[in-house]
Amino acid sequence: MIAQDLYKETLLEHYRHPKNRCDGPIQDADAVERGANPRCGDEIEIGIFLQDENIRHVQFRGRGCAICIASASMLTEAVAGLSVAGTRILCEQMHDWFGDIEPAAGALLPNGLQALAAVRQHPARQKCVLLSWEALADAIDKAGRE
Amino acid sequence: MSLAVQPIDDSETINPEAVRRDFPIFSGSTQPRRFHYLDHAATTPKPSAVINSISDCYAQCYAPIHRGLYPMAEQATSNYEHARRTLQHFIGAASPDELVFTRSATEAINMVASGWLKPRLERGDVVWVSRMEHHSNYLPWQLVCQEQQAQLRFIELTEDGQLDLDGTPELFAERTKFIAITHVSNVLGTENPVATLCTTAREYGIPVLVDAAQSVSHIELDVAEMCCDFLAFSAHKMFGPTGIGLLYGRQERLAEMAPLQVGGGMVDSVGDGMEESRWAAIPARFEAGSPDMPGAVGFAAAADYLSSLGHERVHRHIVSLTRLAAQRLMRIDGIRLLPHAGLPASGIVSFTHHNMHPHDMAQIAGEAGVAIRAGHHCAQPLLRRLGLTATARASFSVYNDESDIDALIDAIISAQRVFCE
Repeated sequence: MIAQDLYKETLLEHYRHPKNRCDGPIQDADAVERGANPRCGDEIEIGIFLQDENIRHVQFRGRGCAICIASASMLTEAVAGLSVAGTRILCEQMHDWFGDIEPAAGALLPNGLQALAAVRQHPARQKCVLLSWEALADAIDKAGRE
Repeated sequence: MSLAVQPIDDSETINPEAVRRDFPIFSGSTQPRRFHYLDHAATTPKPSAVINSISDCYAQCYAPIHRGLYPMAEQATSNYEHARRTLQHFIGAASPDELVFTRSATEAINMVASGWLKPRLERGDVVWVSRMEHHSNYLPWQLVCQEQQAQLRFIELTEDGQLDLDGTPELFAERTKFIAITHVSNVLGTENPVATLCTTAREYGIPVLVDAAQSVSHIELDVAEMCCDFLAFSAHKMFGPTGIGLLYGRQERLAEMAPLQVGGGMVDSVGDGMEESRWAAIPARFEAGSPDMPGAVGFAAAADYLSSLGHERVHRHIVSLTRLAAQRLMRIDGIRLLPHAGLPASGIVSFTHHNMHPHDMAQIAGEAGVAIRAGHHCAQPLLRRLGLTATARASFSVYNDESDIDALIDAIISAQRVFCE
């Protein structure tokens, strides 16, 4: 298989069978935020469900390339059960890792996100990874305001 | 350099392999295998003739132009103006003074929007563009309409991606002050009937700007026959250097146009303080700053190179190849060609796949050595109308052959295996 470096099997599995994806509008979430990349038309909506200070559950809906969908799917698994504060830190680490601000940030990330590492070699695709994470950070901010 | 280059080979068809050898990028040691470049609508590789002409400028005859009085400066000036005359003949302009060197087609269009149209555009006036414009032939008009409180309206498209001129009866109405139209769409590949449109517009006294960025590399341009008032294109899409473009304007139109930039080389006498300055004659008036002589020489070398290949033969080769690509793409399950792409009339075929994002297709293709483009192609108003946000696009040139199509098809099938199983 070509492109195996970028499209790792884990990533493809998340793309083909995304976790926590809604076909319709996300219902009853504590906050829903949307991220869009007008360059490629990708759009991801992230809905967070809170329990006290923790993220109980995350759902997403939207359309995008394989990397965008896989990243959103992995996100929903990676943050379920984390504290809100811990999730915020994770969003920042993802931003630093993919923005090449902190190349070592990858080492701190959970195993479930390591399949995204290869995307760092393709600067044009980094936004595909970060779209859902930026929407998640916005959703946390929104929930905090409400 | 000659002013009227004849095709070097009078056979009916192009030999792509022979032409390919003119382009060092395809034989460079950085290419481990055959590189299938199918992104010519974005930019084109350069033949040795162009690269050498630029290198010769720097190595053999480099001096300030229109300024120095020593022999090399005079020669440099003469090379620059010779390039202008070569391009004049290339597009059939009446005089070299109708050609302004710019940084790009984009800059040329902005010059007309701000320097010619803006002072003439009043509240309630109408400017028309087509639905298929590249952002560079859309945003300058949008901006000037917003500034002047005029209206920007679309010539919409028919189902098969042609201009819906029948559905635009107000096109030549009294409030219409300008029409800007692309010759060939950079997404659909549609060739627009610009000569018919410009001829009618002239009867109504409405100036037209034709964006020839996508046509110049394979359609012979004749501004007199086309009857346009302005025409813009860039060198880099026709085998010429990056960073230089051309604005053609009918002499009387250029005489009416205000310079967008002022500075060295575009002025005859400079007033003290608030005294008025007097601009230089056309076209120097529009070429403020030190002109890009090597760029102009490379631009002219590209025009000569294209002429030596023969426009007709180039066009025939590209169209037949693009049609073949379209036919073979159509046979792949899940592929949808964009309107008009079923029978492309130029070198562009755009497509989508019901289960693969264009970026994923382009990424897999890229890793297989096939360079195609994915995205909105700087044509968001068009994609919005088509209900799409991105497409994949293959665009062909003179040295492409069936093996490039084979590689494209193989790449899309590989991508299907990755994403659709």
